[in-house]
Amino acid sequence: MTKAVRSRFWHSDGRRLSGLSTLLLLLPFFAVIAFVFIYPIAQLLVISFIEPHPTLDNYARVIDNPVHARVLMRTLWTAALVTALSVVLGFPVAYYMSRARGALAAFVAVCVILPLWSSVLVRTAAWSFLFQRNGLINSALMALGLTSEPFKLLYTQSAVVIAMTHVLLPFMILPIYGALRSIPNDYARAAAVLGASRLRTFLEVILPLSLPGVVSGSLLVFLTALGFFITPALLGSPQEMMISTLVSKQIREVLDWPFAAALVGVLTAFVTLLAIVFSKTLRFDRLMGGAS
Amino acid sequence: MGNEIFVKPASTTSAAAGASIRISRLEKRFGPVFAVDGVNLDIAAGEFIALLGPSGSGKTTILMSVAGFEFPTSGTIQVDSEDLTYVPSNRRNLGMVFQNYTLFPHMTILDNVAFPLKMRGLPKAERHARAEAALATVRLGGYGSRRPNELSGGQQQRVALARAIVYQPRVLLMDEPLSALDKNLREDMQLEIKRLHAELGITVIFVTHDQSEALTMADRIAVLKDGKIQQIGPARELYERPANLFTAGFVGEMNFVDVTVESVGDLVSVRLPWGETWQLPPTAAVDAATVGEAAVMAVRPERLRLGTGAAGQVVKVTLSDIVYAGAAMLLIGRLPDGTELRARIPGASQLDALAPGDVATFTVPGEAILLYRGTRR
Amino acid sequence: MKPPTDRGSLVLGAYVYAVLAFIIVPLVIVIPMSFSQNDYLAFPPTGFTLKWYAEYFDSRQWRAATWLSVQVAFLTAICASLIGTAATYAMVRGRSRLVTMFQILLIGPIIVPHIALAVGLYLFFQTIGLSGTVAGFVLAHTVLTLPFVVFTMAAALGKVDANLEAAAMSCGATRFQAFRFVTLPLVLPSLASGALFAFIISFDEPVVSFFLSGIRQKTLPRRMFEDIEQNLTPVIPAIATLLIVLSIAILLGGHALRSRSKTQSSAG
Repeated sequence: MTKAVRSRFWHSDGRRLSGLSTLLLLLPFFAVIAFVFIYPIAQLLVISFIEPHPTLDNYARVIDNPVHARVLMRTLWTAALVTALSVVLGFPVAYYMSRARGALAAFVAVCVILPLWSSVLVRTAAWSFLFQRNGLINSALMALGLTSEPFKLLYTQSAVVIAMTHVLLPFMILPIYGALRSIPNDYARAAAVLGASRLRTFLEVILPLSLPGVVSGSLLVFLTALGFFITPALLGSPQEMMISTLVSKQIREVLDWPFAAALVGVLTAFVTLLAIVFSKTLRFDRLMGGAS
Repeated sequence: MGNEIFVKPASTTSAAAGASIRISRLEKRFGPVFAVDGVNLDIAAGEFIALLGPSGSGKTTILMSVAGFEFPTSGTIQVDSEDLTYVPSNRRNLGMVFQNYTLFPHMTILDNVAFPLKMRGLPKAERHARAEAALATVRLGGYGSRRPNELSGGQQQRVALARAIVYQPRVLLMDEPLSALDKNLREDMQLEIKRLHAELGITVIFVTHDQSEALTMADRIAVLKDGKIQQIGPARELYERPANLFTAGFVGEMNFVDVTVESVGDLVSVRLPWGETWQLPPTAAVDAATVGEAAVMAVRPERLRLGTGAAGQVVKVTLSDIVYAGAAMLLIGRLPDGTELRARIPGASQLDALAPGDVATFTVPGEAILLYRGTRR
Repeated sequence: MKPPTDRGSLVLGAYVYAVLAFIIVPLVIVIPMSFSQNDYLAFPPTGFTLKWYAEYFDSRQWRAATWLSVQVAFLTAICASLIGTAATYAMVRGRSRLVTMFQILLIGPIIVPHIALAVGLYLFFQTIGLSGTVAGFVLAHTVLTLPFVVFTMAAALGKVDANLEAAAMSCGATRFQAFRFVTLPLVLPSLASGALFAFIISFDEPVVSFFLSGIRQKTLPRRMFEDIEQNLTPVIPAIATLLIVLSIAILLGGHALRSRSKTQSSAG
């Protein structure tokens, strides 16, 4: 038996690669991941625990300092709000997309997928134009006579929430769309002929069956939103930082590496934990499948 | 609003008869294509009607219109004289069984069967009791707590049946309900559905492309092609005397020979492609025969007799294949002009002497011949 | 009696198109703004000029940033395709406990926030002198794009019947020849599509680039970030317009590749 195991390591059979070939083919991947992913993050975590001396002080500072605690709460709250808005805005689009046919379906799909292929910076820049004092939104509000003075929109938390929702919406729509597409049309018909109104059909049949897609999309949006950097950095107020902008400030201005490392540690641990808990529901490949 | 019309008291179980259905001048167009082209159909209360036709014949579209999943382009659908043409599905109070069971995968069997009762606002205890009773009717009592994916295909379809009848609808629609099942199960289910129909007295519209299913199950069969009803009648009439060439070819096996009508009198005389002239009884002409016109002669393979013993026309056939087919032998050969002929002859013993290449003699009884206007080529 | 108007569908449709407008309008709005003569990005745009495009193409800094991003994206696409294809092939055909480990590690770069990786690499690359170098950017972007190459390739390789390679080997081909002459041609469109994916992700990647950029070596996203942060000028809408056109071109290219791969796999 040992002999058989050993021979499978050295020799491929007709359909399966040998253990050795498998190892050799995977080696470049493991090397890059170890060198450029695991090591740098592990190094940060180590720093967060041992500098200036072996201690948990860096982590204590994250919670004890009310300013920092507020940043954490704001980050969680913003991510939750963006997730909720994405569900509310995204679900009907996904539903409509799953029912549309032909040219209409293609049009909706392009509208959803095109932003995914354009730079986050482009999308954030677009919002900063729209939110300017004399940008489209204020111009429109004033032209409609709704306000005589332009609103302050740029550098507010609302701007961050709106733009982040815009950027992350496709990540919500595509998994829900995938789930809805896999529900046969006859389920809705069966519910209808058995006496369910459209609302009841939706609540009793469509919604429960599409729930895995909603959960998967929500996790994707929530996890991404927690660590979002570009949009809060460009559209947010310096008085209302999120965890990523706080990290950036600690490194670029305060040069407090151990504390920045602790912040990264908290963020990474939280996100990884959520991903592990929901590992069954997260379907990343579906995102790609939906995009194709 | 109007919930009381949906649910009848549980006590009227057996007496609840079916509803009559009247479909008038039904038309459904998809762009320039007529999926249903002027269909009129009167279905008596408690009748079992099969809609039979090839795919694209419009049978499913008719069912979808009755169910309310599609609104017709024009025409009306009445159930017990009430116009339901544009009433939403959920207010039609019909039962329906789909091809792929469509049990809701996130609900237990009991919740699936109780679903229509829940939609009608019945209290939980009553809907569970009635769902249990319906499951017992399809012999699945005790399966209530399972999930759809724990049941076999046949069991799932019986649950779907229970779900469709649990609120005692007066009409049951079935969209190829047995086509996903294998042959033995299908025959069991055919009997099960027949039994339920007899017990409940419900009106059934059954869509199928399987003619033997239609012939065994339905009181009357409507044969459809290109969105039009070709013929409607009981199985025997359909089989014994198809109204036109399409039905003749579609329902059961049929031999066709192109002929020319020579004279019409006490007998109809036709000239066969190889020059012979046959005298047929006037009842053979399904369409009125006109002298000089092309016609098609049709005979069922099992009506042919081997040898010259019986009364009728005699024909010589060069055999190409002799196939043992269980209850009967299938003989395939060519007529003198090359037209293929099939004959099904019961009892294998008399055929031992025959081999491919032999010329066999068959007798065609006059009353077995049908004559249609037109041509096969 | 008339068919009833379907009010529910109308309401749903109106809502959906409002959301689609929310998605699309911010992207589309930058296009007219890039042609505006107005220096302050006020709305509505006034006049018509190409001067912002000229400013972009004439500026040495913008050109250098663009060239760096192109180099990095191109090399990233090559590295990620090679490493990703080898690993995916091992995953699909291999037999080892390493495969499970591979699948777990693969999710890492998607789950872990980019800011965490960016800060870690910032520290690490500074100590080994990779900060602000093409090699540094390429390594970082290879990690970020690998999962997308693997997902694309896994879908394609999974569809190639393992018996095809067995058949090639029974004709005398080595394992490598079987891959090279049978499997590779079948998955080539997906490989190209995965490489395209890697290219665009790297080209647009802002966070890691932000931290790895030196004073002189700045990628295009980093330059744009500074410009938006400090002095928002209409050069940004001009670049944004160019990038949107690029996205559309790549999206169409990817679509063409995928439809080719579909016809190929159905033919095979």
